[in-house]
Amino acid sequence: MASIARCVRSARPSAFTAFVKAPVSRTIISRRAFHATAISQIRKYTKDHEWIDVSADMKTGVIGISEYAAEALGDVVYVELPEEGKKVQAGDAIGAVESVKSAADINAPISCKITHVNLVLEEKPGTINHVPEDDSHGGGWIAKVAVDEQGVKDLENLMDPEAYKEFTATESEEH
Amino acid sequence: MALHCRSSTLLWMPTLNRPLISLITTSGGRQPVRLFTQSQHRRFTDDARLAKRIQIYQSRSSNPYVNLSVEHYLLQHSHPDSTVLFLYKNRPCVVIGRNQNPWLEVNLALLREGLSGSPIDLVRRRSGGGTVFHDSGNVNWSVICPPAAFDRNKHAEMVVRAVQPLLQPGLRVRVNERHDIVMDVTPEGKTFKVSGSAYKLTRLRSLHHGTCLLSSPNLGHISRLLRSPAEPYIKARGVESVRSPVRNVGIANTSDFTDAVITEFCKMYDHHESEMVEVDDSGVETEKIRNGVNELMSPDWIYGQTPQFTFSTHPTEDDPRERPPLPADLPSNFRTEMVVRHGQIQSASVSGLSFVIDPDDPDFIPGDYPPDDIHNGRFTLDADVLGGLLVGRKIYGGDGVYDWRRALVLAGGEFTSSNGTIEPADNVGTFLNTMLGIQPKDP
Repeated sequence: MASIARCVRSARPSAFTAFVKAPVSRTIISRRAFHATAISQIRKYTKDHEWIDVSADMKTGVIGISEYAAEALGDVVYVELPEEGKKVQAGDAIGAVESVKSAADINAPISCKITHVNLVLEEKPGTINHVPEDDSHGGGWIAKVAVDEQGVKDLENLMDPEAYKEFTATESEEH
Repeated sequence: MALHCRSSTLLWMPTLNRPLISLITTSGGRQPVRLFTQSQHRRFTDDARLAKRIQIYQSRSSNPYVNLSVEHYLLQHSHPDSTVLFLYKNRPCVVIGRNQNPWLEVNLALLREGLSGSPIDLVRRRSGGGTVFHDSGNVNWSVICPPAAFDRNKHAEMVVRAVQPLLQPGLRVRVNERHDIVMDVTPEGKTFKVSGSAYKLTRLRSLHHGTCLLSSPNLGHISRLLRSPAEPYIKARGVESVRSPVRNVGIANTSDFTDAVITEFCKMYDHHESEMVEVDDSGVETEKIRNGVNELMSPDWIYGQTPQFTFSTHPTEDDPRERPPLPADLPSNFRTEMVVRHGQIQSASVSGLSFVIDPDDPDFIPGDYPPDDIHNGRFTLDADVLGGLLVGRKIYGGDGVYDWRRALVLAGGEFTSSNGTIEPADNVGTFLNTMLGIQPKDP
């Protein structure tokens, strides 16, 4: 146990005085800075209703769930975000969405590494219902990823927006 | 390692094209029907069995962690096109949903005290939804099917069809808008919940499981077990339970229920084979099930999976509710606010604690203490500085906070001389133990 005075001395003025007297100044980083306006990015969909936007240089991507899925899920009450830094294969569960007593896995569309997660969703899970396919700040995207070589190959197995639209139209008919 | 289980074959009446079991049940027989023509040990993790179109399993284990892990194993390893029924009962336990907060949903101290001496297990399941109580008078039913066939009500309807013929006159069960099974009691004109539903959806499979209160002797305890003393102080992300009045269906013999559910399940899936597999605690001999049990029992899963929450003793902008009065032995200027994410303290402030200044301490330099913070020879610890010393600690088990009295003394100790005492860390710590403590005893 350290002595009072030594501790107090080491703690001042940065701790004692600063905390009491001055409001904590926070560095506010504009979240918009994260949003790189995509020029000719590629969007693909999985059969499991995830989407991925891949940058033109095929190095990075943004993942989310489709409007079709968001509507089918109903009111989203919690989003369990992926773990930053985690490397995943196509089809691996990376997170989950809870709605109407259902915990539904979110799967990685391609092999990739999670670099950012959308913390807004933890606080405002309903964002997924409103703008599930929006990859900008305030949108319902789930994670930003670094795409690896295998990931680029995996893209070939996914559907482009036209094909996905047809695919969901058939799914709806079957139900 | 293989999981050994008893594999049993139900006797069928080929001419009737349905199991004898249903014949006896509907004819009013009250004896549990166990007509096995053979009983032999077989691996339940057998690939051939997991590939069958329709599979029926029943557990003899009452361990909730084993049963949920067997269920998860079936979810992950049964053939993607198969449909699986799994029935099990648990010893007394409280089961919270995947994204729930045990500090908010459960009276943790009462759980430890338990019912007639045996503690009640706290379990976090993998599916969504709210908190439920299980005991041997409650049977859990679980149906795993391909996602394309998923429907939130159809298996609850199946259970309704099984239960209705077993009821006394004047009682009717139905599925309500929350996908739960409720019972309308005509003489009283009231509706009670008897079964709660929850779902887990994976890429290849969907799982619908539910409780069914048949003859629980503990209904009178459920309400207080599921009422947390910390509720007025906690604002949580994630899923909050919806309270419903419950009652027993009134089926004394749980096997009457399980037999009826199996019969309805077989009808629903036009199933005429005759194999029902019994599973027991030896399930943990299978490595994946053992790993599942270890995960479900770990504090990191039970507590650490909790979505972010804020505990605050006073109204805040985010949580302006009036708070109940704090215990009288706490200082009038005591207040605390803590943000806890995944069981780990993200930020905290604790005010109202102070220590006696020792003028004989050779290190004591009067100028070090802001005069405003000294009253009657006591130096008031800054709320954010003291709180800051708690940041990063987990509030459950392991290296985390077991006992808040000790945690506060240790944190405050950073600022006291060797013989200094933090006041009133003991009272504040006892209060926090009541609210958040997961270990009541002295470490």
